[in-house]
Amino acid sequence: MNVLELKELTKKFGDFAAVDRLSLTVKEGEIFGLLGANGAGKSTTINMIASLLPSTKGEIELMGRIIAKNAKFAKTNIGLVPQELAIYEEMTAYENVHFFAGLYGLRGSLLKSRAEEALAFTGLQDKKRSYPRDFSGGMKRRLNIACAIAHRPKLIIMDEPTVGIDPQSRRYILNSVRKLNEMGSTIIYTSHYMEEVEELCTRIAIIDHGKTIAEGTKEQLKSIITDRKTVGISVRSTEGLQIDKLLEIAGVREVELDEERRTVTIASDAEVNNLNRMIQQLLEDGMEIRAVDERQPNLETVFLTLTGRSLRDS
Amino acid sequence: MNVWRIAIKELKWFRDPKMLVFLLATPILLMLILGTALSGAFQGSAAVGDIRVLYGASDGAAGARFEQWLGESSSVEGIVFEKSEKEEDAAVQDVKNGLYTGYVALESGGVTYYGSSRSVMENGIVQGMLTSFAERFKLETAIPDAAQAEGSAAGAGIVKETSLQGPKRPGAMDYFAIAVTTMCIMYGAASAGQLIDMERIRNTASRLLASPVTKAEIFAGKIIGTLLLNAITIAIVVLISRYMYGANWGSNWGAVAIVLMSQITFALSLGLGISYLVKGKAAGIIIMTIIQLAALFGGSYWQIEDNGDFVSKLSGYSPITWTNEALLGVIYGGGEGLMPASVAVLLNMGLSVVMLAAAAWIMRRRVGL
Repeated sequence: MNVLELKELTKKFGDFAAVDRLSLTVKEGEIFGLLGANGAGKSTTINMIASLLPSTKGEIELMGRIIAKNAKFAKTNIGLVPQELAIYEEMTAYENVHFFAGLYGLRGSLLKSRAEEALAFTGLQDKKRSYPRDFSGGMKRRLNIACAIAHRPKLIIMDEPTVGIDPQSRRYILNSVRKLNEMGSTIIYTSHYMEEVEELCTRIAIIDHGKTIAEGTKEQLKSIITDRKTVGISVRSTEGLQIDKLLEIAGVREVELDEERRTVTIASDAEVNNLNRMIQQLLEDGMEIRAVDERQPNLETVFLTLTGRSLRDS
Repeated sequence: MNVWRIAIKELKWFRDPKMLVFLLATPILLMLILGTALSGAFQGSAAVGDIRVLYGASDGAAGARFEQWLGESSSVEGIVFEKSEKEEDAAVQDVKNGLYTGYVALESGGVTYYGSSRSVMENGIVQGMLTSFAERFKLETAIPDAAQAEGSAAGAGIVKETSLQGPKRPGAMDYFAIAVTTMCIMYGAASAGQLIDMERIRNTASRLLASPVTKAEIFAGKIIGTLLLNAITIAIVVLISRYMYGANWGSNWGAVAIVLMSQITFALSLGLGISYLVKGKAAGIIIMTIIQLAALFGGSYWQIEDNGDFVSKLSGYSPITWTNEALLGVIYGGGEGLMPASVAVLLNMGLSVVMLAAAAWIMRRRVGL
């Protein structure tokens, strides 16, 4: 069953089409990744799904109902975790969750238990009487999530929920997303962290210039990239390495140096046999090679190939 | 239900210590400072400034008796009666122009008083004196023998000189309790200007709009909550000024509350209206300018006398002036003060409706809040 279906969705600001005839479907039980560079139309799409922005053309269906005609139904069944923190600093964690959940029609003991449940789910039960101003960035992010899930929505939209937090909180949030999914919520997840999307999402859509340019499972997306190979070479020291010389080798598209791990990652055209030349150049630069491995394309490579941009640099 | 939920959420601002200091400590301290520092200007007859009253007599006898009474009276300090050389119409026009507090027409049939609508409290004082004169004049006419019998027991007993003091006048603390309270209410426009903006800044606007709540419910909830918050704050300020500083708020608490509530509504509507009519930071600048001018010309820092000059003419356009006059009328003008108070309440509420309607109309057309 399709939980969400976007049909030829278009949003224009003047002559500029932020979203241009975008179509995609999200099935029940999926964690659907939405990838796109800044300005690709990701947030505009999310805002239209959450009824924050009217579309110029096209339709959005939530569980078979057109949301423009069933706004209350749609809003009741969607939980939005905005990219920016959307909580009240002058209210305690419990009051924040209680207030927002109350707007969804929950009352009395049900409202209280759901608010407690959401706080427990995000690991904030011990901090329920504390004010967000005393919270760490990670705790605020978790409260941001708690406010969106207390009413148990069918569809949860998470717009970059792990921005600017410590690894421990990030891990907590990622586990929470998985648990929410296991509990029956369908999730739309956007992130600049490709490894998160790769780890969590069952299906992914890549959006560029307001259009879907690829959609499928991560394996399906990776299979698109057949003309590119990536070689990782570990060296004893990167001192004296001449990147420009490597870039001059036939077929080499990109060279990335990780000084900390002392690794050189070289992206090259698949059909060009240039591994010997790469190794030769590294030896000429005085590098002591420790290991060479040919890497499978990952989502980052897919994204780069399809959009011509790195997700984090965009 | 969601309207109340949002309204109650607004009340939680009260727990913010900074906000509490601004809302409560500022007016209480200002009252103390202004009420103490400027108390000299409010002592004795100078409390409401010199009251200038014109009089004219179409009946010579009545005129002579009035002048005789003025000469005998010892308690008319602070009130200057000037004989008019003009026709009655011209004299009345001078009163309308604010040059005089009132005009007394002395006729054979009695005394007619034309009081300036700008000086409710002063009129009360003058009318009190004229009543005293009329009573004496009437009695002297009815019992001329008794009145003229110098030193007779009857004369001394019947034509008794009643006090020429008018109704109670405000002292410095009384005046500034009112003036500072109304000024602080006006400052409510500044926070009202940020009422919706704060939701946008904190990104909670998108979360509110993503929930099954209409824009109208959010708008109404925030307005009701802020009105309640301001009303509670002002009630505390009024009670502190009454019981800590002994300021006179009169006995008609209902009328005082209605006047104050109308100004709270007006200030909120003004701030909210301008924040929708003018985009960006300019709205805040405009609101603050209006508040400062209203306070300056509204007599919040010193009392502005209505003597017809430029400042006193501008003063009439300050919402603080018309609210202060309404409150002074209710407290010191007795029943007669209720009419100008009603006008002020209607003015505040009418302007509120206009500003709120403009804000609501713009919000409906806008994407987001």
